[in-house]
Amino acid sequence: MEAEQLRQIVEARARVLDDARPEAVEKVHAAGRFTARERIAALVDEGSFIEYGQLAGASPAVDDDAHADGLVAGAGRLDDAPFVVASYDVTVHDGTQTDRNMRKLVRLLYLANRHRWPFVCFVDGDGARPDPPLVPPPIVVYSRGTWDVYEGLAELSGWAPSVAVISGRTLDGNAGIAMLCDLVVATAGSEVGTRGPDGRPVTRPVEELAADGSVDIVVDDEAEATAVVADYLNYWAGGFEQGQPSATHDAITSIIPDDRRGPYDVREVMVALADADSTLELGALWAPSMITMLATLGGHPIGLFANQPSSPVAGAIDSAAADKAARFVELCDAYELPLVSLVDNPGYMVGPDAERAGIARHHARPLAALHHRTVPLCSVQLRKAYGLGPWAMSGWGSSRVMPELRLAWPSVESGGMSLEGAAYLVKRREIKAAENPEQARSIRDAYAEEMRDPASGVSAGRTFSFDDIVLPSETRDRIIAMLSSIPRVFPPVKKHPIDPR
Amino acid sequence: MDRSPIDDVEAARASQLDEARPEAVAAVHRAGRLTARERMAALLDPDTEVPYGTIAAVAPDGAWVAEAGGVDAVGSIDGVTVIASSTDFTDKGGGYGAGRLERLFALAHERRWPVVFFVDGGGSRARHPRSDLGHLELNGLFGRFMLFDGIAELSGWVPTIAIVSGPSFAGHASLAGFSDFVIATPGSSIGMGGPPMVEAALGLSLSANELAGVEMHERTGGIDLLVESEPAAIEAARRYLSYTTNRESGPPSASAAMIDALVPTGDDNDMVTVIDALVDEGGLFQLRPNFARSVITGFARMNGRSIGVVASQPLVDDGAIDEQAATKIGRFVELCDVYDYPILALIDTPGCTVGSTTDEDGGSGMTPGLNRWHTRPLMAHHHRTVPLFAVQVGRGGGLGPSIMGGLASGRSAPALWLAWPTADIRASDGFAAVRSQHAFDDVVAPSSTRRMITRLLTHLGGDGAPGGRTAKKHPVDTW
Repeated sequence: MEAEQLRQIVEARARVLDDARPEAVEKVHAAGRFTARERIAALVDEGSFIEYGQLAGASPAVDDDAHADGLVAGAGRLDDAPFVVASYDVTVHDGTQTDRNMRKLVRLLYLANRHRWPFVCFVDGDGARPDPPLVPPPIVVYSRGTWDVYEGLAELSGWAPSVAVISGRTLDGNAGIAMLCDLVVATAGSEVGTRGPDGRPVTRPVEELAADGSVDIVVDDEAEATAVVADYLNYWAGGFEQGQPSATHDAITSIIPDDRRGPYDVREVMVALADADSTLELGALWAPSMITMLATLGGHPIGLFANQPSSPVAGAIDSAAADKAARFVELCDAYELPLVSLVDNPGYMVGPDAERAGIARHHARPLAALHHRTVPLCSVQLRKAYGLGPWAMSGWGSSRVMPELRLAWPSVESGGMSLEGAAYLVKRREIKAAENPEQARSIRDAYAEEMRDPASGVSAGRTFSFDDIVLPSETRDRIIAMLSSIPRVFPPVKKHPIDPR
Repeated sequence: MDRSPIDDVEAARASQLDEARPEAVAAVHRAGRLTARERMAALLDPDTEVPYGTIAAVAPDGAWVAEAGGVDAVGSIDGVTVIASSTDFTDKGGGYGAGRLERLFALAHERRWPVVFFVDGGGSRARHPRSDLGHLELNGLFGRFMLFDGIAELSGWVPTIAIVSGPSFAGHASLAGFSDFVIATPGSSIGMGGPPMVEAALGLSLSANELAGVEMHERTGGIDLLVESEPAAIEAARRYLSYTTNRESGPPSASAAMIDALVPTGDDNDMVTVIDALVDEGGLFQLRPNFARSVITGFARMNGRSIGVVASQPLVDDGAIDEQAATKIGRFVELCDVYDYPILALIDTPGCTVGSTTDEDGGSGMTPGLNRWHTRPLMAHHHRTVPLFAVQVGRGGGLGPSIMGGLASGRSAPALWLAWPTADIRASDGFAAVRSQHAFDDVVAPSSTRRMITRLLTHLGGDGAPGGRTAKKHPVDTW
C-alpha cells in the first residue's frame, strides 16, 4: 500500500473534525449550541463510537468541504447499552438533507431495526439541500434513501425507542424525522416549520408544538437535552438497582386535602410514590389534566399516568387528555414498561366545547389502548371514580384484560355520577331558583354532604370494587411486590407501532 | 286449569310489542322515528330474525324493568349474518338493547358477525351512592365481556355500525364512539354528558342538539355519515355492509369513457367525478364527506372487488392536508387494512398545513407546516398489508404523496404506482424531487388506469379478499 494513500485518508479524516474547523465550531458555540460531534460525544460512552460515513461529502472531490455530508452518524453505547446516534451539522450547507446523508441514516436505521437498538438524532437543519450536485455513475445516483429513512422510523416505532432532539431551526424533512420519533426533545426557542410556496421558512416555536402534543419535552439547553435522552433510554434498557423511596414518600398521606373537593398537584403523589429522583415527565405542556411520567419503582422501570385535580378542568378527561393517555399506554405497552395509574377524576369532560373536540370518539382511545395492552397495570384510585372515568385509567373489570392490581385509598368515592352532579339533578329547581351562585353552590354542597358516604373507603372494600383499600404509605410496597412478580419479557416480534398521537 | 306458564310468557311478550303500546309508538312516530321493532323489521331480511331477551324488560310482577327495553337479535342483512340491536327510547330514555348485547357481542366475536345497532339513549342510570350498587362495579366481574370492552374487542375483528337517531349520551354515545361506522339522522345528538349534566357541571342550559348535535359532528369528524331519515340510515348500513362481500365482476361507470376529459387540468375539478368515472357503476360511497373535505375517503368497487379510496380534493383548501385531513386518511387506511380492502389513492396536493382549515371558519389561518398528526397516515401505510394502487393525478408537494399513497419504498410501497400525464411534481422540495425522479412504475392515460388496476387486482387474488384472516390485525382507532 502506498504511504500516500494512507496519508490521504488520515488527512481527509482529520479535516472533518472540530479541531480542524475552529470557525465553524465558534459559530455553533456562539449560538449556545454544541457541534454535531460534541453532541454525540456527550451521549456515547467514551471510546464506544463507531462512525459511519466520516468521509462522506457532497462530491467525491478530495477537497470537498461538505464534512461528513452534513450528518455525523454512527453506533455506540450509552451507559453500556448499544444504540445508534446521528446529528445534522448546521455548519455544512445549513444541515440540509441529501440523498447521501439520508443513506447514512438508513444505515443506522438498519442496525436499529435489526438489533433492536434505540435511535437518537439531532435533527436541526433546513430540509432538502437546494440543487444537490449530482454524482456521476457508477455510484448509485438515485437511491431511495429519503424514503427509507421514514420507512425505517415507521418500522422502528414500537420496536425500539426513537428520539429526536430539536435544537435550532428545523425545516421540512428534518422536521419529518422528528415527528416520526417516539420522543421529541426540544431546546427552548427552537423553531419547526417548512418552506412556504415562496421558498421562505414558515416556522412555529417548539413551545407551540409542545402545547399540541407534537413535542414531548422542552428543555433549556442542549446539555439538559442530552441528559433527558440518556434518561429516556435508560428506562428502556432497565437493569436498575433496587430504587430508594423518594424523600417525600413519608409525607404522601398529607398530599390529598381534607376537603374532598380540594385541588392538589398529582405530580406530588407521583414523585412521592416513585423511586427517588426517577421521574421524567412527558408532555408537560400538553393536555394538562393528564400527567404522564416515566419512572422507576423499586428499580422497575414503569409508565406512570394520572389525572391532575389541580388542572383547570379538575382532572376531567378531555379529548387531548384521552389522546395523551392512549399514546402513553401504547408507548409503555410497546416497550414493556408496566403501567401504574393514579385515578382521581370526575369523568370525561362534558359540554359543547368538549363535544366539538370529539370527546365522544376520543374518549374510547385510552379504553381501547388499555384493552389491547399486554403489560401489567396497577391502578390506584386516589379519590373520585365517577362515570366512565375510572375505566379510562384502568380498563374494565371483566374480559381479556383486567388490571393486575386495582387498589384504592381510603379517600375513594365512586358511583355512576358525582355527588355534585347528582345534586344538580335532584335539587335542580332549588338551585335554579337560588339568588346567587354562592347560594346555588351551598345547596349543591349540602346535598352532596348529605349523600356522602363517610365510610366510603370501607364500603368500597366491602363491595369488592377494588382488590384492596390501602393506606397511601403502603401503596408503594404493594405495587413493588406485584411488579417483582411479573418479569419484564420482551416479545420476539413487534406488538404494534406507537400511534403518533 | 289456571293460566299456564306458557300463557304468562306469551302475555309478557305481547306486552312488549308495538301493538300493546300505542301511546309509546305514537310518541316515537311523532318524533319522526321508528320503534325498536320497526327498526329491526326494516333492517333484517324477512324471516331471519332470532330475537333474544324478548321479555327481559318485564319483571315477574309485570312491572317494567329499567335498562332492559329494546330489541337484540341475530339476523341477516342481504344474506350477511349480523348482530342487530336497538335501544327503546320510550323505556325511560334507553337501556342497552334487551340487555343481551354482552351475550351477542361474544357470539359476534366467535362467529365473526358484524354488529349493527341503534344506540340512542341517555346512558346508564344514576344510583343512590349508599345503595348496594353505589360503588361502580369495577372489579372482577364474571363474563366474557361487558358492553364496552366487548365493543373494544370486536373493533378490527368485525365491522361495527352504529346508527344514532335521537339523543345518544354517556354510555350510549360511548358505544357509538367505539364503532367503526357511525350513521346519524338530523336533529340527533351524540355526547359524553347530556344537557342535565352540562347544566350541572357548567351552568349551560342547552338542548341536546345544541350541546352535541350530529350536524356539528358531521363537520368535525364525530360521525361518518349524516342521512335524512332512519330508512336512509338503514340503507347506508346496508351499503356499508355490502362491501364486505366481493362480486364476480362489475360494470364500468357511465362516465368511464369520458375520464380523459375529466382529469383535472386546473384547481376547479371535482375529484369525486374522477373517482366515479374510474370505479364501477354505483360510484363512491363516501365516509366523513363533510369533515376534512380537502381529502376524500370511501368505498367503491373495481370490477366487482371492494376497495377503499383515498383521494385529494383540490376543490377544498387546494387539496392541502391539515391535521384533520391526516387523521381522516390515517384512520381510513387502518380501517381498510383490518378488513382487508385494497386501497386506491388519487393524489393532487400541495402538501401539509397546520391549524384546522376545515372547521366552520372556512379555512382561515392555514399555514404550511407539519406536526405529529401528519405522520399518522405514514405509520398506517407502513404497517398495512393490503395492496395499494397509487395514482399521481396532479401535484405532489412535501409529504403529501406519502400521506395519501404511502412511502415509495420498502414495506408500504404501492403495488402499483402510476402517474397520469397531468402529474405535476416540480422539484420544489426534496421529497418531491426524489419521487419525481424514480417513483413511478409507469405514466398512463386515465382511461387505461381502470384496466391496469382491475387486472392487477385479479393477479393479487385472495390477498385482497375481505374477511379472509384468522386473527385480528389491530383495532380500528376510534379517531
